[in-house]
Amino acid sequence: MPLPSIWLLRSSLICFLISTIIGALILSSKVITIHPAIWSLLPVHFELAIWGWIIQFVLGTAYWMFPKKLEGERRGNPLVATVMVVLFNAGLILLILSNFTETISLQLSLSGRSLITASILIFAFLIWSRVVTYRNLKH
Amino acid sequence: MPKVTRWFIKAGILYFIAGVVLALLSEVPGVKAAPLLLPVYWHMLVMGWITQVIMGVSIWMFPRKHRDRKKRESLLTWLAFWFLNTGLILRFLAEPFIPVIQQSTSITVVILLSSILQVLAIVFYIAEIWPRLMQDKKRKRS
Repeated sequence: MPLPSIWLLRSSLICFLISTIIGALILSSKVITIHPAIWSLLPVHFELAIWGWIIQFVLGTAYWMFPKKLEGERRGNPLVATVMVVLFNAGLILLILSNFTETISLQLSLSGRSLITASILIFAFLIWSRVVTYRNLKH
Repeated sequence: MPKVTRWFIKAGILYFIAGVVLALLSEVPGVKAAPLLLPVYWHMLVMGWITQVIMGVSIWMFPRKHRDRKKRESLLTWLAFWFLNTGLILRFLAEPFIPVIQQSTSITVVILLSSILQVLAIVFYIAEIWPRLMQDKKRKRS
């Protein structure tokens, strides 16, 4: 398994655990008194579940399992893949932080979404040429 | 495909069907329970369907640490399956009734139990999958 996939998958598992714990606290707060601020974590619960867990897990698995190139770097430039991982997770962190501040919330969420968009574009660039079949290749 | 994967995927399909039916019902004019069913519907799709398929397929496809080990399903994977599904079923049965039945001890116990079971299920799943995330050269050495 390549390193960028390992990082994406490990990060997705961490996001999954945090999101589940927040979700469990929110669910529990419906029947017992927990801190009222727990409900303000609802957007964090969503972002971590959808972007942090599901999408990041799919990115990591696709980067690992899609057909590899026959020539050159088998999965594309590994440095570019590393940049993709860093941008995605930096964007996710900014997006999460935007929920905890009112003064620079908009700037943080815009920056976070921009970094995630850039990361997805890099992913598309890396994976596009690997959406192939070698079944009809003449040896 | 290991047995636990088949169970994860089949359970996921059942939640998928239930979620879609619930979404359909909530659109029927005159159904007043729609807001109460919204969290149930979302969790049926995201946890019941998508997450269970991801968990089942990854347990199947991700390389195990020791390739020669014949046992394809560890205790952790079964614990993750049963804890997650028990937690989800308890949640789906109890959550819509929280606003209806106020101050009910049984609903409180069921909801708290559901929360704990779901978190533990994810802990078990991560404990199973995390050691499998390693580079091929490290796996061959171990």
